[in-house]
Amino acid sequence: MKAEQNGTWVGDKDLTQDPDFMEYSHKEFNEYLPLVDSLGDNRSIEVGASRRDFLKYLGFGLGAATIAAGCETPLKRAIPYVIKPDTIVPGVATYYASSIVNGGDFCSVLVKTREGRPIKVEGNDMSGVTKGGTSARAQAFVLSLYDTDRFRGPKKKEGDAFVDASWDDIDAAVKGKLNSRSQIRIVTGTVMSPTAQKSIDEFTAKYPNAKVISYDPISSAALLRANGTDFGIRAVPDYHFDKAKVVVGIQADFLGTWISPIEYAKDYVENRKIKDAHKPEMSRHFQIETYMSLTGSNADNRVQVKPSQVGSSIVYLYNAVAAKTGGSRVRGGDVPSEIAKALDKVAENLNAHRGESLVVCGTNNTAEQTLVNAINHLLGNYGHTLDFGAVNYMRKGDESELISLLHDMQEGKVDAVFVMGCNPAFDMPFGNTFAEALAGVDLSISTALTEDETTAACKYAAPAHHLLEAWGDAEPKKGHYGLIQPTIAPLFDSRQMEESMLVWAGSENLDVASEQPYYEYLKKSWEADLFPSSGESSFRAFWDKCLHNGVYEVAPTHAEITFSGDVNAAAGKVSVVKASEHEITFFETVAVGSGNSANNPWLNEMPDPVTRCAWGNYLAVPLTWNGVNAFDGLNGLEDGDLADLTIGENTERVPVIKQFGQMQGTVAIGLGFGRTKGGRAGTGVGVNVQKWLTTDDEGLMQYITSGAQVSDKQGKEEFYSAVQYHHTMGVKGIDKATQEVINADEAATVFNTYFGAVKQGPQGSLVERSIIRRANLADVEGFVHDLVHEREHHQHLNDQSIYAGYKELYEEGHHWGMHIDLNACTGCGACAVACIAENNVPVVGKEEVSRHHEMTWLRIDRYYYGDVENPSVVYQPMMCQHCDNAPCENVCPVNATNHSSEGLNQMAYNRCVGTRYCANNCPYKVRRFNWLDYTAADLWPINERGIDADADVPWAADNLTRMVLNPDVTVRARGVIEKCSFCVQRLQEGKLRAKTEMRSLRDADVKSACQTACPTGAITFGDTNNKKGDLNKKLSSPLNYIVLEEVNTDASVNYQARIINKDIDA
Amino acid sequence: MSAITSPIREPLVQGNKSYHDITVDLCTPTERTPTRAWVIAFIIAVSALTLGIVCILITIWVGIGTWNLNRTIGWGWDITNFVWWIGIGHAGTLISAILLLFRQKWRTGVNRAAEAMTIFAVMCAALFPAIHVGRIWIVFYFFPYPNTRGPLWPNFDSPLLWDLFAISTYFIVSLLFWYTGLIPDFATVRDRARGLRQKIYSYVAFGWTGSAKHWQRHESLSLILAGLATPLVLSVHTIVSFDFATSVIPGWHTTIFPPYFVAGAVFSGFAMVQTLMIITRKVLNLQDYITRAHIESMNKVILVTGTIVGVAYLTELFIAWYSGYVYEQFAFFNRALGPYWWAYFGMMTCNVLSPQLFWFKKIRRSITWTFFMAVFVNIGMWFERFVIIATTLARDYLPSSWSFYVPSMIEVGIFIGTLGIFFTFFLIFVRVAPVVAIAEIKHIVTSAGNQYVDDNRDHHEELVAETIQKVEQES
Repeated sequence: MKAEQNGTWVGDKDLTQDPDFMEYSHKEFNEYLPLVDSLGDNRSIEVGASRRDFLKYLGFGLGAATIAAGCETPLKRAIPYVIKPDTIVPGVATYYASSIVNGGDFCSVLVKTREGRPIKVEGNDMSGVTKGGTSARAQAFVLSLYDTDRFRGPKKKEGDAFVDASWDDIDAAVKGKLNSRSQIRIVTGTVMSPTAQKSIDEFTAKYPNAKVISYDPISSAALLRANGTDFGIRAVPDYHFDKAKVVVGIQADFLGTWISPIEYAKDYVENRKIKDAHKPEMSRHFQIETYMSLTGSNADNRVQVKPSQVGSSIVYLYNAVAAKTGGSRVRGGDVPSEIAKALDKVAENLNAHRGESLVVCGTNNTAEQTLVNAINHLLGNYGHTLDFGAVNYMRKGDESELISLLHDMQEGKVDAVFVMGCNPAFDMPFGNTFAEALAGVDLSISTALTEDETTAACKYAAPAHHLLEAWGDAEPKKGHYGLIQPTIAPLFDSRQMEESMLVWAGSENLDVASEQPYYEYLKKSWEADLFPSSGESSFRAFWDKCLHNGVYEVAPTHAEITFSGDVNAAAGKVSVVKASEHEITFFETVAVGSGNSANNPWLNEMPDPVTRCAWGNYLAVPLTWNGVNAFDGLNGLEDGDLADLTIGENTERVPVIKQFGQMQGTVAIGLGFGRTKGGRAGTGVGVNVQKWLTTDDEGLMQYITSGAQVSDKQGKEEFYSAVQYHHTMGVKGIDKATQEVINADEAATVFNTYFGAVKQGPQGSLVERSIIRRANLADVEGFVHDLVHEREHHQHLNDQSIYAGYKELYEEGHHWGMHIDLNACTGCGACAVACIAENNVPVVGKEEVSRHHEMTWLRIDRYYYGDVENPSVVYQPMMCQHCDNAPCENVCPVNATNHSSEGLNQMAYNRCVGTRYCANNCPYKVRRFNWLDYTAADLWPINERGIDADADVPWAADNLTRMVLNPDVTVRARGVIEKCSFCVQRLQEGKLRAKTEMRSLRDADVKSACQTACPTGAITFGDTNNKKGDLNKKLSSPLNYIVLEEVNTDASVNYQARIINKDIDA
Repeated sequence: MSAITSPIREPLVQGNKSYHDITVDLCTPTERTPTRAWVIAFIIAVSALTLGIVCILITIWVGIGTWNLNRTIGWGWDITNFVWWIGIGHAGTLISAILLLFRQKWRTGVNRAAEAMTIFAVMCAALFPAIHVGRIWIVFYFFPYPNTRGPLWPNFDSPLLWDLFAISTYFIVSLLFWYTGLIPDFATVRDRARGLRQKIYSYVAFGWTGSAKHWQRHESLSLILAGLATPLVLSVHTIVSFDFATSVIPGWHTTIFPPYFVAGAVFSGFAMVQTLMIITRKVLNLQDYITRAHIESMNKVILVTGTIVGVAYLTELFIAWYSGYVYEQFAFFNRALGPYWWAYFGMMTCNVLSPQLFWFKKIRRSITWTFFMAVFVNIGMWFERFVIIATTLARDYLPSSWSFYVPSMIEVGIFIGTLGIFFTFFLIFVRVAPVVAIAEIKHIVTSAGNQYVDDNRDHHEELVAETIQKVEQES
C-alpha cells in the first residue's frame, strides 16, 4: 500500500496515484469537471464558460421564479404597537361590563376584548335580570359588530341609490327642513334606555308636533293594554317562575323568545332541577299551544289547541278555575271534550297550588290577557309568583299606531319620519305599502347600521354606532339599570343615535365640543337621576362602580294592585279565529328572532332547537302514525319537500318539516325570514310570512290565522338544511292490526314495506340505548335503582378488559370532566353559539349544512318520546366526551389525536392527514372534518356560493369578519378533523392564573364557553380530582349516567337523567 | 403401442400443440398490429382513465367536500372501491402461490394474466387511501421515516398503518413474482424479434439465455417468492378487515372479518379473472390454452369461496341475535331492512345465491353462464363492501347523527377512472407480454400427455422407433 498518503485515500484515482488526478488535486480550485469527460467529444458546452453559464442560468431562473411567484402573493399585515396602551397586554383579554339591547332582547354582559377587539361576550352575573345567563342571540351579537354590510358612513339618497354624505349634510338637512310646526314621526322599537328617552324627549320638546311611535316587531301590546286596564299599570309584570309550583303557559314561548327568556329560563329551571334524587321535587309545567315551541317541548304536559280554540280554551280554563276558587263564571268556553278534560286537569293542578302557580299567556288579544290576569288573580298569585314591583320594560310598544302613521304618510300629512333602529317595512304585514309611503315623505332618516328594507326607502341613512362601540344605558326592569360602554373605537364614520337626536334637537345639554358628547350627557343624566339614591359618597365613585359592574340596581318598590278587569266583557271578545281545515300559527324563532338578526351567519346556521333546521323557516306540518310502519306527514309531505302554502290570495312555496307535536289541523311557520334587504347572509333566506299577519279590532297584530291551505308535494327543497334526520327515541303508537301500543319508532325506522310480514323491530334496539335516560317524577325511586344496577353491570363488564388502561394515572393531577343536567337544559342553544364564538368554528352556509357538513363542536340533540302525536321532548347537549379510552385515538395512523395527561382528548391539527377514521370510530359522532376551505385560510377555492372567486372577498376572508376570531384558537385548514377541546385555551389560562397567584386551581378558574353561556347552569365543568370542586358535588347524584357506558369509552362527561313531572291522567 | 387419452383428465392444453406452436400462438399477440377491437377498447379505457385523473385533481384542488361524504359517513365509495380492488387482486396471488404449492398444474394457463391483474388492481386500490385523505400533500406522515419532530413516529396501533405495510409488501412481492415469471418469456419474444423490439425485450429479459443455471436460479427465486406470497394471500385482506374489525362501530367490530374478508377477496378475484380471461381467450384466440376445464376449476373455487362468504353473512346475523347486544342487533336489522336494503339484497343475491348455480356441471362449463355469473359476483362483492362501510356508518349509536349518503359525480368519476387505469394497463399488458406463461405451459405440455395424441402420436412413434433403432445399432 505504498500509494497511500498518510494512510488515507479518497478514491481509486487517489489510490493508484493517477497522474492527471494528482495534477488537479494539488490546485486550490479544482477545475476538473467529470461532466466534461462524460460528454466525450461532443462538447457542446464550452468548458471555459461553464461556470459563468451556470450563473447566468441560475440568475435567470431565480429572477423568473421571483417574478412569477411575486405577482399575486397576498399581503398580510401585522402591525405591532409602537406605544403600548397601558390597559392592553398582548395575549391577555380585557373584560368590560356592558349590556346588549337588541330588538326587545336584553342581556347584561361582560365583553371580552383582545388587543382592543371585542371577540366574545360572557354573561354578567351581577345583573339581577339575566343573572349571568346569555342567549344564542346575545352570544352572536359580537359578530354583528363586524358585519361587512354595515354603512361606512352617513349616506343620502340620490336617485335610487345611496351616495356618501357627511354628518353636516344630514344635520343641515334636518335643521333646514324642520321647524316647530313640522309633523314629525319618530318610529322606534321599545326604548329601554332612560337616557335615550331623554334625548327623544328633548327632540320632541323642540319640535312639539313630533310624535314617537314605539312598537315591538313581535308584539306584547295586548298584555300591556290588559294590565293597564285591569291594574292601572301598563307594563309587563315581574314574573317569578322560581316561586311557581305549577306553571301554565298559553301560547307563550317564555323559555325561547317571549319577552325575557334568559331571566325566565333561569327562574323556571330553579324548580326543575332535582336536588335530591331520594326526595325529588320539581314544579309541574302545562303548556297550552298549537305548535311545538321550545317552551312546549320542555313542558310536562302539553295541551294541544287549534288557533281557533285558544280563546275559548282560556275562557274554559277561567271557568274551571273560577268554579274551584269561587270566582264568577263567564259565558263561552266551548271546547272539544278532550281539551276540556285536559284543561280541567290544569285547573285542578292550579287550584292545588294557589298562590304558588303562574299562568302566562303570549297571545296578542286584550280580552284573553284580561282573563289570564283574572285566573292569576283568582289563584292569588299576584304578589307571589308575579307582581308589579320591578316591572319589565322590555316590551312597551303598541303597533296599532303604525297603521295610522301609514295612513298619515299616504295622505301626505307627515313632513319627516325618523326610523330609529327598527324595520317596520319588514316587520309589518303592510311593509311594502309602508316603504312606498315612506319613500314619499319629504324627510326620512334611518339610523340603521345596514341598509334594511326601511332604510332603503329613506332619504338619509344616519348610521348609529354598533352597541359595542357606543355609550348608553338600559332599564330592562324597573329599578334595574344596565350601562352600555364602548369596547372598541367606532369602526366606521357612524354617530351615536342619541347624539344625532340631541344634535337635531339642538340640545344645550349636549357638549358638542367634548370628545365624546353623549358620554358626558349620559354621565350627567345618571348623576341627576340615579346618583342621589345610591348612597355613594361621590358621583365619581358611583359612576366607576356602575361602570365596573355594568349594572346598578335599586330595590323594587312594592306596588299595591287591585284587579278591575271585566271578565264578562272579556269573555265575549276572546279571539275568534274562524275554525277551518288548516289553521296556522306564526311564531318567533329562537335564532333570528323578528328578523333583525337575519344578517348574522352564526344565528342563521344555528339549527332551530325544535325543528333542527338551519338557514330558513320551515313549515311545520302535523304527522300521523299510520299504524304500520310510517309517520305520514300532512298531504303525504316529507321532510324537505316543498309545498304551496296559501292564505287568502297569497301563495308561497315553502319547505316542509314533519313536526312531532304539531296539532292535527294546524301548521306553523317562523317569522323573521325572507328578508329582501337582509345583507349578505340574510337576504333571501327563508320565506317572508309577515304579510299574512292580521290585525284585530283593536289594531293589534295577530299571530294566528285560519284558512291556510297546504298543497301536496311540489318538489324538493334544493338545500334541505336540517342537522338531525332521526327525531325519535321510542315514540309509542297504536298498531293497526292488534290495537296494541307498540314501539312505533322502531317499526318506522327499520322496516320497509317490501318486507311486510315483519312488523316489530328488534325491541329495544332504539329505546334501550344508553343515550337518553329519563323517568317520570313519580317513578324516580325505581328508576334510580335500575340505573345504578345497570351501570354496575356495564362497569363490571368493562372491568373484564385484558388491557389495564391508565386509570391510575388520571387520578393524579388534573383530570377534566363535565356534568350536564338534562333537567336544567332547555335546549335554547346559547352554548352552541358560544362555542362557535369561542373556538372560531366556521360558518359553512346552507348548501353545506344540507350536505351534513356543519362544523359545530357542540350540538344539542333533540329526541321525541312518548305519545306519537303529543310527545315529550328531551334535549341533550353533545360534544366530545373526552373518553379516557378513546376509540378515535388508537385508530389515527399519524398520532394526530391523542390523550393529554389531564384526560383531554386533543387534536394536533398540523399533524392531521385527514383519514377521517377517528370520525367514523367516534360513537358520539362529534368529530368534524373540514371538507372544504371554510375559513378561507388557504389558497384553495372557497366554499361560499355565489361569489366570484377572483373579484370578491369571501365572507370568511374579509378582514372585518376575521376581527371576531379568537386569537387563542387555531383557525383550522381544509382537510383536518376538529372537535371540542373542552376549551383548552381557557384551561391553560385558568392554570396560569392559579399558578401566578401561587394557589391550587379551583373549578371557578376554568369554565368552558358553553358553561358560561348557559342561562340555566345545566353545564358544570371542572377537575374531577378536585374533591371540593363544583363538579364533584354534581358527580355524586345517583341520577348521573355516561352515554354509551357499555362501549367502554370511559367518557369524561356525565349526564344527569331527564326527569319530568307529568300528570299521567291529563 | 397405442396412445390412450385419459378418460378422466382432460389435457391441460388442447389442440395437440408442439412447443413451436405454443411459442407462435402466445408470442403472436405481441407481434402483430393491434386489432380494431383492441384499439376501441384502449380508447375507452384511456378516456375513463382521463376522467378519473380529472376527478382526482378536482378532489385535491377543491377538497374532499366535492364528495358527498358527511359528518356521519366518513368513508363511502372511496374505501368501498379500495377494498373491492384489493379483493380483486387476490386471485392472482392465490393462483401463483397457493396453487403452485398445491401443484395445481392448470394454474399455468391463467396465472400470468391473473398476476398482472393483481398488480393493476393493487395499483387501483392503493390510489384510494392516498386520495381520500384531507391533505394528500402530507400523506408521507404515514411512513415511519426518521424525522426532526421529536422524532414523531406514526401510530403503530392504527390498522391504517398496518394497511400501508400490508399493501406495499403485497404489491412488491406480487410485482417481483410476476416479473420473475416473465423473464424467460421476454427472452422468447426477444429471440423472435428484430430491431428496436429486440433491443427493448433484450433489456427487459435481463440477458436470459436459458442456461441450466438460469433455470435453476429462476426456479429457486420463484419458490422463495411463492413462499413469501402465500402468507400474503391471507394477511393482506386480514389487515384490510382490521380497518373495520378493530373499531367500536357495531357492524364493523366483529372477529369474523379476517377469514370472511379473505374468502370474499378470493371469491371476487376469481370472478374478475373469469371476466377477463373469457374475453381474452376469445380475442387472442387462446381457447386451447385456457380451456373449459380451466373455467370449470375456477368456478369451483368461486363456488367454495362464495359459500364461505354466505356462511359468514349468516353467522353475522346469528351472532347479532345471539349477542343480545342492541346496537349489534340493530346494525344488522338495519343492513337488511333499513334504507340501504337494496344493497344488502343485491349482495345476498349476487354473492350467496348466484354461485350456487355452479353446483350444476353444465353451468360450470358454460362460457356464457360463467361470464355473467362472474360479473354478478363482482357487483355483489362491491355491494358487500358498500354495505359494510356506508350502511353501517349511516346509522350507528346516536340516532341524532344518522345520515344518508349517495356518491357525487366526482366519486363516480374516480371509480370509473380506476376501471380505466385497470383496463388501460391490462390492454397494454396483452400487447407487450405473453398473456399465458410460455415457459410454464411448455412444462406441462408433456406431462399432460399431449405427445400421445393424433399427429403428435405419429411423430412420437417415429421418434421412439428411431431411438430403438439407434440403440439396437449401437448395441
